[in-house]
Amino acid sequence: MTAVIAIDDLSFRYPGADQPSLRGVDLRIERGDFCAVIGGNGSGKTTLCKTFNGLIPHFWTGEFTGGATVDGLDTLESSVAALSQSVGYVYQDFGNQLVRPTVGTDVAFGPVNYGLADFRERADDAMRVLGIDHLAGDYVWELSGGQQHLTALAGVLAMDPAVIVVDEPVAELAPARAEETYRMLERINRERGTTIVVIEHHAEFIARYAGSVVLMAAGAVRWHLPVREALARTGELAEHGIPSPQIIDAVSRLAPEAEVPLNVGEAKAALDGLGAPGPVDRRPAEASSARPIASLTGVTHGYRDVHGRLSKVIDDMDLTLREGERIALVGSNGAGKSTLLNLLTGIKVPRKGTVEIDGLDTRRARPAELADHVCYLYQRAEQMFLKDSVREEIAMFPTERARPGTDALVEEILDRLRLTEMADRDGRTLSGGQQRRVTLGIGLATTPALLLLDEPTSSLDVGTRADVVAMLAALAETIRCVVVATHDMHLVAEWADRVLVLDSGRILADTAPADLFDDPALLETVGLVPPQISALGREVGIHPPPLTVDEFVSAYAQAPVGGR
Amino acid sequence: MARKQRDVLSVEWVKLELLRTAYATRGGLMSKFDPRVVVAWYLVFAVVPWLTHNITTLSVLFAVGALAVVLSRVGPLVLGLFIFGLVTETAYIFAVAWFFDGDVQTVMALLTLTLKLGTVALASMAAFVSLDPEKLSDALVSMHAPPLLSFGVSYGYRMLPIIMEEFHTIVDGYRLRSKPVERGFLGWRIPAAVAFALVRSFYPMMLNTAKRTRTTVEALETRGFTFAGESKAGRSMRLAYLRLGPRDAALVAVTVALVVGAFMFGQHLPLLSRDF
Repeated sequence: MTAVIAIDDLSFRYPGADQPSLRGVDLRIERGDFCAVIGGNGSGKTTLCKTFNGLIPHFWTGEFTGGATVDGLDTLESSVAALSQSVGYVYQDFGNQLVRPTVGTDVAFGPVNYGLADFRERADDAMRVLGIDHLAGDYVWELSGGQQHLTALAGVLAMDPAVIVVDEPVAELAPARAEETYRMLERINRERGTTIVVIEHHAEFIARYAGSVVLMAAGAVRWHLPVREALARTGELAEHGIPSPQIIDAVSRLAPEAEVPLNVGEAKAALDGLGAPGPVDRRPAEASSARPIASLTGVTHGYRDVHGRLSKVIDDMDLTLREGERIALVGSNGAGKSTLLNLLTGIKVPRKGTVEIDGLDTRRARPAELADHVCYLYQRAEQMFLKDSVREEIAMFPTERARPGTDALVEEILDRLRLTEMADRDGRTLSGGQQRRVTLGIGLATTPALLLLDEPTSSLDVGTRADVVAMLAALAETIRCVVVATHDMHLVAEWADRVLVLDSGRILADTAPADLFDDPALLETVGLVPPQISALGREVGIHPPPLTVDEFVSAYAQAPVGGR
Repeated sequence: MARKQRDVLSVEWVKLELLRTAYATRGGLMSKFDPRVVVAWYLVFAVVPWLTHNITTLSVLFAVGALAVVLSRVGPLVLGLFIFGLVTETAYIFAVAWFFDGDVQTVMALLTLTLKLGTVALASMAAFVSLDPEKLSDALVSMHAPPLLSFGVSYGYRMLPIIMEEFHTIVDGYRLRSKPVERGFLGWRIPAAVAFALVRSFYPMMLNTAKRTRTTVEALETRGFTFAGESKAGRSMRLAYLRLGPRDAALVAVTVALVVGAFMFGQHLPLLSRDF
């Protein structure tokens, strides 16, 4: 094998930056490899990948020393245009790299620009490989996130590059969709021999798909190792914000001498010698009779699309949300989660049926009045920012309503969410995790009875994510009922006590997290991927399955050792 | 008063109507022609009204424009705005004529201008509601418009739904987080609050949209857009599908005939025409 990417002693500093973003990078990526680049926020992963196609140093200029050769081209001497024929790049915010109105023309955009006469075949071929050929005539803004990601990938694939770089596919995609993207990448890698480089936080995907792993820290490559060796270094990974996959953690605690497992099957084999595990000790959920905070009766709602057709999104739904509940709303894209949240805020009123919040019929009260009782935090934190500083943002709601004690409340929230230091900065300039904390602050300042959150953990790195989960747990003190719409099954496992499974506008199941993960047919129907530890728990015969690694390990501790 | 879900005259409806107009989803007569012919057709109707003062001729041209609008299935929002503009304009003309002691001649002079503007507006509605962004930008490319212009047009269309989505979300944010509006005398505070929220939404919307374009600019570079500007191969490949057929020739012939007919009719039957 030969190296398709060869980087020698490469350093790069953005103009005006104190520290170089890359320092003395030496790296060889073999042709045909499936390579995962990992590292904490700000470790230089994205900067490194942008040197492959010459965006650095040609588009983003700065202090550049050392050299890089990609597919035989010296990046310093070649243009971005020339390098881009060898290196395709799929961005983290992939929606913004689609520049043509329809899918077909967007996929053909690259080949047409480069004057490749077989552009039509290339585009058709790329779309067929990724299974989106039926979408060729659709407008890009009509697509779901997963379809947009595949379109962006097809646009890159149509150029038939030697290397494809994909920046954090899981950040903005539902896990089942991300899984799909990974399967496609694996196929491209296998069938076309294309080298794949992914920037990835999620060790589970790395374990299952990658061949080698590059760990970046402080702008330098710490090491580049085959996947099994890399994942065995659990301590070092955790240090850089990459907790090891749950199954690796569990196996290393129960059978330290076993080989590092890359999937559930291998983990099960590693634990075979331990005998049968006992049950997980968990209090059974009891039917709650607490005061209802919100109730839906016979609610039906739908939207008109651009062609004037009415599509039903919520179908004759009855539901009661009670005080003290931590509810996770799960289901595939388009199952009706966002619509349900919108109905609960009163921004939308149902076409049929009634929605009551804290005893108020949403039809009889204006949204601004309902906002005293219910608060909705959007998935994209930026969309909530209306003011120039974090402090004003949090203070807006109580100030507008002239609530007494506003100043003290705002200071307390800033302190509690560790935002005091950045209280005077514009929220838009903060990092993703900080922005998420600001939106939580906005929610806390409204002191609602019901708090709704849409995907609070999406596009956060693992460290920041743990932070947000801890804060959600702490919310229970002040907020009576919290509903989280999410694709993040780890969040469901760690935080929720009630799960509503939505499918085509109906509630398919209203259950506890452990019961959900014990029902493979249901998970399959709605395209959910259980946490690996729950899947492994089922495999080894623990029912209901464990939700955390601790539960899993404790099940073995309680086991009748040696068949007693 | 109980609220209910509205399918028309709501923000959602305005959003959909703009998309339907921009993306030519309703089909209609003009969408079946070669986009270059449609653009040329529009240019004819944008120029010709300014070459005459003959009210008969202008009325015929206006009628042709109106017919084209009907055949092109222009949506209710755009059409409603146009009619609203036309009616208020007419009222204004009479008011002005009366105020300045004018007579029928004054009204006619002002009416001439209204007819000209109206014809151009009708033609642009009929033409642009029939051109989806792909066709429009390809037509511009083939007419040797600067590549940045034709790309700008198609990218503008691409951004339209995004901007509207951002705007809607931010306006909703203001609705929820501002204090409930008291109605005031005849409910005057409600439009005032709406107007404030609209103006205030502009800044956050532009910032959020601008942040998205950073990736787009990079992607244009890596996907060879700049490269294509320097080579001619891509252009001819992209436009290969544009072909003029008998149908297009027929449209040109009918247009020429109608315009010539309008002028001849105007010569024959001048209505209150004046000499300047």
